[in-house]
Amino acid sequence: MSSLGLSLMLPLQNYWCILWRRKLTLVAVIWLLVIVAAALLAPWISPYDPLDINAMDRLLEPSMTHWFGTDNFGRDTLSRCIYGARMAIVIGLGSVLVALVGGTLIGMLSAYFSRLGHVLMRGVDVLMAFPALLLALILMTLLERSIVNTVLVIGLVYMTTTARIIFGMSLKLKGEVFVDAALCTGASHSRILLKHMLPNLWSPLLVQASFIFAFAQLQAAALDFLGLGLPPEVPSWGNMLAEARIYITRASWLLTFPGLLIILSVFSINLVGDLLRDSMDPRFKDDIAGV
Amino acid sequence: MALLEIKDLCIAIATQDGLKPVVQGISMQLEVGQTLGIVGESGCGKSITALVLMGLTEGTQIRITGGSIGFDGQDLLTLSAAQRRELMGNRMAMIFQEPMTSLNPVYRVGAQIVEAIQQHQNCSTQAAYQKAEELLRQVGIPESAKRLQSYPHQLSGGMRQRVIIAMALSCEPLLLIADEPTTALDVTIQAQILQLLKDLQQERGMALILISHDLGAIANMARDTLVMYRGTVVEAATTQELFAAPGHPYTQGLLGSIPDPDHKVDELATIPGRVPMMGEHVSGCQFHPRCSYATDECRNKAAPKLGTDHLVYCHHPLTDSTQQGAL
Amino acid sequence: MSVFIIKRLLSLIPTLLLASMLIFLFVHLIPGDPAAVLLGDLATPEEVAALTTEMGLDEPVYLQYYYWLTHVLQGDLGTSIFFQVPVLTVIGDGAETSILLALMTMIWIITIGLPLGILAASRHGTIVDQLCSGGAMMAASVPTFWLGLYLILIFSVGLGWLPSSGFPSLTDDGGVFNLRYLILPSLALAAPNAALIIRLVRSSMLDVAREDFVRTARAKGLHPTRIAVKHVFRNALIAVVAAFGFTFAALISEAVVTETVFSLPGIGRLVVQSILRRDYPVIQGVILVIVVLYMTINLLVDLAYARLDPRVSLK
Repeated sequence: MSSLGLSLMLPLQNYWCILWRRKLTLVAVIWLLVIVAAALLAPWISPYDPLDINAMDRLLEPSMTHWFGTDNFGRDTLSRCIYGARMAIVIGLGSVLVALVGGTLIGMLSAYFSRLGHVLMRGVDVLMAFPALLLALILMTLLERSIVNTVLVIGLVYMTTTARIIFGMSLKLKGEVFVDAALCTGASHSRILLKHMLPNLWSPLLVQASFIFAFAQLQAAALDFLGLGLPPEVPSWGNMLAEARIYITRASWLLTFPGLLIILSVFSINLVGDLLRDSMDPRFKDDIAGV
Repeated sequence: MALLEIKDLCIAIATQDGLKPVVQGISMQLEVGQTLGIVGESGCGKSITALVLMGLTEGTQIRITGGSIGFDGQDLLTLSAAQRRELMGNRMAMIFQEPMTSLNPVYRVGAQIVEAIQQHQNCSTQAAYQKAEELLRQVGIPESAKRLQSYPHQLSGGMRQRVIIAMALSCEPLLLIADEPTTALDVTIQAQILQLLKDLQQERGMALILISHDLGAIANMARDTLVMYRGTVVEAATTQELFAAPGHPYTQGLLGSIPDPDHKVDELATIPGRVPMMGEHVSGCQFHPRCSYATDECRNKAAPKLGTDHLVYCHHPLTDSTQQGAL
Repeated sequence: MSVFIIKRLLSLIPTLLLASMLIFLFVHLIPGDPAAVLLGDLATPEEVAALTTEMGLDEPVYLQYYYWLTHVLQGDLGTSIFFQVPVLTVIGDGAETSILLALMTMIWIITIGLPLGILAASRHGTIVDQLCSGGAMMAASVPTFWLGLYLILIFSVGLGWLPSSGFPSLTDDGGVFNLRYLILPSLALAAPNAALIIRLVRSSMLDVAREDFVRTARAKGLHPTRIAVKHVFRNALIAVVAAFGFTFAALISEAVVTETVFSLPGIGRLVVQSILRRDYPVIQGVILVIVVLYMTINLLVDLAYARLDPRVSLK
C-alpha cells in the first residue's frame, strides 16, 4: 500500500489547534470565508445593482449612501466589489481545476510511461520557455475575452509548472517499493496510478492548488488591466482597476478598494497555503518551494 | 583533581507545554587521559548531556535547570558564550554520529580543518595547511596532501569520520567527546575507527568520553562505564566490574541481551516493556515498570545511591556487586 | 565546464525550434488581418488584397514560417509593418529602457531582499522575523500595476517628487538624471519579487542552519557571525540562485504591465502595442528575443548553481 498515504488528513481538532497558534492564519481563513459568503450571497447583500448606471451619481466619494463611493458610470463600488468576489472565486477555482487536472494527468503519465513522458515533458518544456504572463497574453489575443477563456488560459499556464512538479514526485513514487509490489500482484496500470500513486499526491496537490489560486488572481487582474482578460462589463476587481486608471487623481477610492481586496485575498490564500505546506509530507517539501 | 566533574546536572526541554525534564541529577567524573563509556538506550539523555557539556545548546530547546560542570578548574555553566567558544574545539572537542552530513559540502576538507586550526591558534595559512596534512596522515588517510583538496562528497563515510576526528584533534584538546561515532558506519569500518580513537587517545594522553549503545565497543575502550536510563545514572563502575558483576537489573538486562554466538537460542533475550515517553511520569524508581525484581518500595520511593567505587542506584541491587563500598 | 555549456546549448536547440514554431503559429492565429488594420476602415477590399500580397501574407503558413526562420538565422527579423523599419531596430530602441529597468529592479531586489532575508533568519522567532516575513508575504500579494498606480498617486501626483511617465534616453538632456523616470517603475516591479526573495532566503537559511555541518562548525568554536555567513548563507545561496531564473521570468512578464502603466518606451509595451496593431513581424521578433533571453538566463543560473555546489557534477 502507499507508504505515507494521506498525510494531510489530520483530524479537524488538530487543525483548530494549529490555527489557534497561528492566529494570523486564522484571521486569513475567516477573511476567505467572508469572501466566499460575499460571493454566494451577492444578490442579497449588495446595496445596489452593480451594473446600474447612474449618470447623476458619477464619481462620488465614499459616504453613508455609498460606502465605497461610485465610479465613472455612477455604479456603486461596494456592490461591484461584492460581485467581484464571485469572479475571484470563479477564476481561482477554475484555474486550479484546469491546472491540476491537466498537470496531474501529464505529470503522472509522463513519469509512469517513460516514452510518452519524453514527448509530453518536451512539450511542457517548450511551453515553459515562455514567461507566464507573456504566454497568457499571446493566448488571450487569439481568443475573445470571456470568463471561460480567461480561466482556460491561466489554467494552462500553471498546468506546465504543475506537470513538472507532479512529474518529479511521480518519478520518486515510481521508484518506491510499493509500486513494484503492486505490479507483482498483477495490478493494472490504471489501478496503480489511481489507487496507489495518486493518493500520495493529494497533499502536495492541495498546497499547489492554494498557490495557483493566489497567482491566478494576480494574473487575471493583470490581464484585465491590459484589456485582455474578462469582458469589460463583468464586475471583477481587475476590471475595476483597469477602469480606475484614468481617474486615480480624482477618485482614488476606485483604486484603493478593489486593490485592497485583491491584496488581502491573495495574502490570506498564501497564509493558508503556507500552513498546508508545513503540515505536508516532508518528502515532497523541496519540490514545492512555491509555484 | 579530576579533569571533568559533573555534579547533579539537570537538563530540561522547553516545549509548548512547559519545561519537561530529560536529565535528572546526574553526576560523573573523569580523570586526565582516561576513557569513560556512557551506555544507554535511545532517549536516555546521553546525547543531550554531551551537547550540554560541549555547550552546543544555543538555538535549541535544551535548558539547563541545575547542577555544575567543572572542567579544567572552571565551572562551565558560569562562563559566557564567548568564553565557552574559547574552549570549544580547543580544550574540548566533539565528534558526532553522522559523518555523511557533518562536513560542509561546499568547502574542501583541508579548508575546513584549517578553519578549526586558525580559530584557536595563531599561525599562518601555510603552517595550518601543513598541520592539516599531518593530521590527515595521523588519522590514517592515505595521500593526505591530495586529500586536503577533496570535497566531502568525494570521500566515503569512514574517511569523512576520520577527517572529522582530525578536525576535532587539531588543537590538541584535553577531552574528546565521541557521540556514537561509529553507529552510522559499516561494521568493518567501525572497528577501524574505534581502534583509531584508542590509539590517538593513548598517544596524546587525551580524556575520552565514548557514548554508545554498543556494549562491545565500550568493553574494548572504556576504563569506567556509566549506565544511564531515562535521564538518570543507574550504575557507574569500572568496565571490568560492570561487565563481570552488574549491580543494577537494567545493566543485567543490557548485558543479557547480547546474543551469544556460541549458544543457539529460540528467542533473543530482551528487556520487557519500553522506555516511557518524555514527560511521562513514573513514580519511585524510574526503571521499576520494566524490572522483574520490583517491589512496592521501588514503586513508591526514588532509588537510593549505594556504594562508593561501584555506584548502584537501586533499592535491591543484585547482591554480588555491593560487596565493595559499605552499605 | 565548456563541454557542459556546449551540451546544454545543443539540448536547447530543439526546444527553441519548437518554441519558434509556436510563436509563428500563435501570431498567425491572431484574428484580424494586418493589412486591413494597417489601411484602416476605409480601405477597399482590393487595396487590402494588394497589400496582403505585397506583404507575402497570402502564402501558405509553412512557407511563411520557412522564410521567416531562414531570415532569422541570418539575423534578419523582418520589417515592422507599422514602423516600416527593421524589427531589430524597433527592438533595439526599446532595449535601452527595458534593460535599464531590469537592472534597477534587480538592484532593488538584491539590496532589499538579501539583507532582510538574512535578518529574518538570524532573528528567527522574534518580532523582527515576524515583521519581515509577514511584510514580505503582504508585498508578494500586491499586483504590480496597482502598486505602480499607487506610487504614481503618492510620489508623482501627491508629492511631485518623481515623474510618472515616459523615459527620455540617457543620451538626451538630463543624462544619468533621467534614471529618475525609472525609480517608481522599478520599485513597483521590485516589491513583490524582493518579497519572494526575502522568504526564500529566510527559509533556506533556516533549513541550512538545522544541518549537521552547522553543528560541527559551532563545535569548532567559530564565532556566530562567521558561521552565519560562511557556513549557513553560503549554502543557502545555492537555493536562492536557483530561484533567480524564475524571478527573471516574472520580471519580464510583469515589465509588460509596468511599462504600460508608466508609459515607458520599452520592449514590454512594444509587445502589447504590436499585438493591438497586428504587427506580426514585431510580435514574432520580440517574443523570440524574450524567449532566447529567458533560456540564456536559465542556462547561466544552472552554471552558477553548478559553480556554487560542488556536488553537482558538470557532466
